[in-house]
Amino acid sequence: MGHSGHYIGGIDMAKAVSKPKKSNLTKYNRAGYFFCAPFVIVFLIFSVYPVFRTLYLSFTDAKVTTLNMHFNGVANYVRVFTDKYFWKALLNTVRIWGLNIVLQLGLAFLLTIVFSDLKYKIKGLPVFRAVYYLPNLIAATSIAFLFRTLLDWRYGTFNQIIAGLYKLFGMQYNPIDWLNTASTAGVAISVIQTWMWFGNSFIMLMAGVQGISKDYYEAAAIDGAGRWTLFGKITLPLLKPILLYVAITSLIGGLQMFDLPYLMSEKTSAAYSSVQTVVMYLYKFGFETGTTQLGYASAIAYALFLIILVVSIVQLKLVNKED
Amino acid sequence: MKLKKLMALAMAGVMTLSLAACGDTAAPAASDAPAAEPAASEAPAADGEEAAAPAAGETDWSQYAGEKLVVWTLANDLIDFGERFQEQTGVEVETVVIEPANYPTKVQTALLAGETEPDIIVGEPQMLQDMYDAGFFADLDQFGAQDYADQIVDYIWQVGQSSDGVQRAISYQITPAGFYYRRDIAQEVFGTEDPDEIGKLFADYPTILETAKTLKAAGYRIFASDSELSFFSGDSAWVIDGKLNVSESRLAYMDLVVELYQQDLTAYAAQWSTPWYQAMSGPVPILTAETQWGTDDMNIWDAESFNAATEGMETTEVFAFGLPSWGVLTMRDNVGETSGKWGVCAGPAYGFSGGTYIGVSSYSEKQELGWEFVKFCTLNEDTANWWIEYSEGDTVSLLPVLEAHKDDENAVYGGQKLYAFWLEQAEGLDYSKVTKYDTAIGDAWGAAISNIKTGAMSKEDAIDEFYDQIEATYAGEITVER
Repeated sequence: MGHSGHYIGGIDMAKAVSKPKKSNLTKYNRAGYFFCAPFVIVFLIFSVYPVFRTLYLSFTDAKVTTLNMHFNGVANYVRVFTDKYFWKALLNTVRIWGLNIVLQLGLAFLLTIVFSDLKYKIKGLPVFRAVYYLPNLIAATSIAFLFRTLLDWRYGTFNQIIAGLYKLFGMQYNPIDWLNTASTAGVAISVIQTWMWFGNSFIMLMAGVQGISKDYYEAAAIDGAGRWTLFGKITLPLLKPILLYVAITSLIGGLQMFDLPYLMSEKTSAAYSSVQTVVMYLYKFGFETGTTQLGYASAIAYALFLIILVVSIVQLKLVNKED
Repeated sequence: MKLKKLMALAMAGVMTLSLAACGDTAAPAASDAPAAEPAASEAPAADGEEAAAPAAGETDWSQYAGEKLVVWTLANDLIDFGERFQEQTGVEVETVVIEPANYPTKVQTALLAGETEPDIIVGEPQMLQDMYDAGFFADLDQFGAQDYADQIVDYIWQVGQSSDGVQRAISYQITPAGFYYRRDIAQEVFGTEDPDEIGKLFADYPTILETAKTLKAAGYRIFASDSELSFFSGDSAWVIDGKLNVSESRLAYMDLVVELYQQDLTAYAAQWSTPWYQAMSGPVPILTAETQWGTDDMNIWDAESFNAATEGMETTEVFAFGLPSWGVLTMRDNVGETSGKWGVCAGPAYGFSGGTYIGVSSYSEKQELGWEFVKFCTLNEDTANWWIEYSEGDTVSLLPVLEAHKDDENAVYGGQKLYAFWLEQAEGLDYSKVTKYDTAIGDAWGAAISNIKTGAMSKEDAIDEFYDQIEATYAGEITVER
């Protein structure tokens, strides 16, 4: 046992190091593979295999199980691209994400401007950063439960407060069923998503700002640039890579949006068809009892993948072109 | 430097300990095994004594000495059943509870990979047909299940059968639905609290609407939410011979829910939400368009002033809740001061919801022992009697036991003899009307109703949209004739 400690993957490390001959080096390199193996094996089994398995399933008519499934060509893809509820779900996803990202980046940007402004000299940045980030640490289920309670139609705190405010101004408030009305449910979810994620964007934008050399600002200040010029000509252009990163990761994450809309909506609600996201639609066919159609769910997954791929490439091209 | 060394040593210590702790999770299989063995070897001895006990029946448990049953369930109940089985037979039971939404996927993944564990699998009615079709449940008739056919409530026996008529699962409980109503309000408004008489007020959809109006005029709301009706939503099958079937009763149900909503006849509490539970125990405040909150000088930011100002605001009391028999326990835990003032009556149609059906995995290597477990949980009178007491009022499916308890009075429900009532409701159930599509189609129908009642769509558009949804969901599987 004592001796075996010096051996790694059957190679005597002392020899390998002291005699760096080519043959030994090759062996030494092989030891590297040995070290990588645990990750690679897990990655192959749990990431690569499912990707190809899903692709395979998407060309079959597999229903609840993969027993008795048959190859059915591109039928599932034809069905996805002609399914109006798939497109509706995609539109819902983009709508919820779109409002969310505008609010999220807008708020994060505003805070970045305030916190990075040398004149304001706001103290306690780490504290604010932590506080803004906190909602991100709460489980989506808890957030969903909290907001479902707050936004309840007849019993929710939110409507009670609005009713109280209306009352103060001598007006009548007809309570809105925020989560069960098609026009408000998506907006409510966007705003909650914003509340969850703006801290994250703020931290990234702040990191970007702090990475910009002070020399630029000093040089510009000497040349007589004002606050807005500094922001528009220095901060914004230099933040572009970070902004791009935030936007792309947010889009990819946004198109895969699932937990919050799923937890905050009821299938029997009038608003359900306006908050059902693509992944919720996929989940319906992938896992829900009574509607499970594995082949179709796999095709939806790949259709979504293609859409994300195309959008990401377009986004990258656009930004590079501007550069 | 010394401090650094000390720190380094301390860190090394912590690391070693944490590694040892990590090892713990992997180790038990090996380290526990010797400990488990004596327990198992002791078991037959203990069995020998207990074999005479009626719970162990005539089975010779010593033949299963040292064996372990793995149970995958979606309801916590089976933990208790498992513990009792282990106590009485000495056979070790490992119960794993999996969240219902993930349950079918987990079972499918394990069994399609040919896993010999779990030995015992379960399902709720809506999942079972697919699980039977996939061949997950072993044939219980090979062990003589049919000998017990007349001991179990009829519909339970049918739910446990695959389409070829083979018994594959049995439930220990029945779950027919009824209306739980307030006896004091019934006496005040209708002059009677008798369950049969009150049942007449829920006899059909138009009558329910009239009852709701009478109650509102008297200052009450018939239901906390309109979901109370969902268990009685239609006396017909959703799919017949591959065709979607929207019967007259479905349309009548739709009209009733729309009326209840538009005429402000329920308390608008979402089912399973906090106000919904609160409505079980007494008055709930209700925020409506007509009656605004509070007084002019109300300060909403000050709790005291807010409470004082809202004290006199409109509140309402709810008359009835529609729930399956397991609602007996839900209500009991939430009725608070109104305990004893409740009664249970029949609804406009027979309905049921839920129930855990226990079967043996086709891939298990211990199918015979598995059958013993199923028998123990569902067909054993001692277990059923114990379960009634232990669960404090769950309704079992074993007929001799239901018969024996038919005169039991439940104090929460004004001394009503609930077992007799539930048995009657269960006997009226026609399981041939149940299809595997019910949940999904029912949800889509519910969404159509919501669209109409909130004014988002006209009735015609909402029904068209419903047809579209079903066509898109079950393309090539269900024919929709408009």
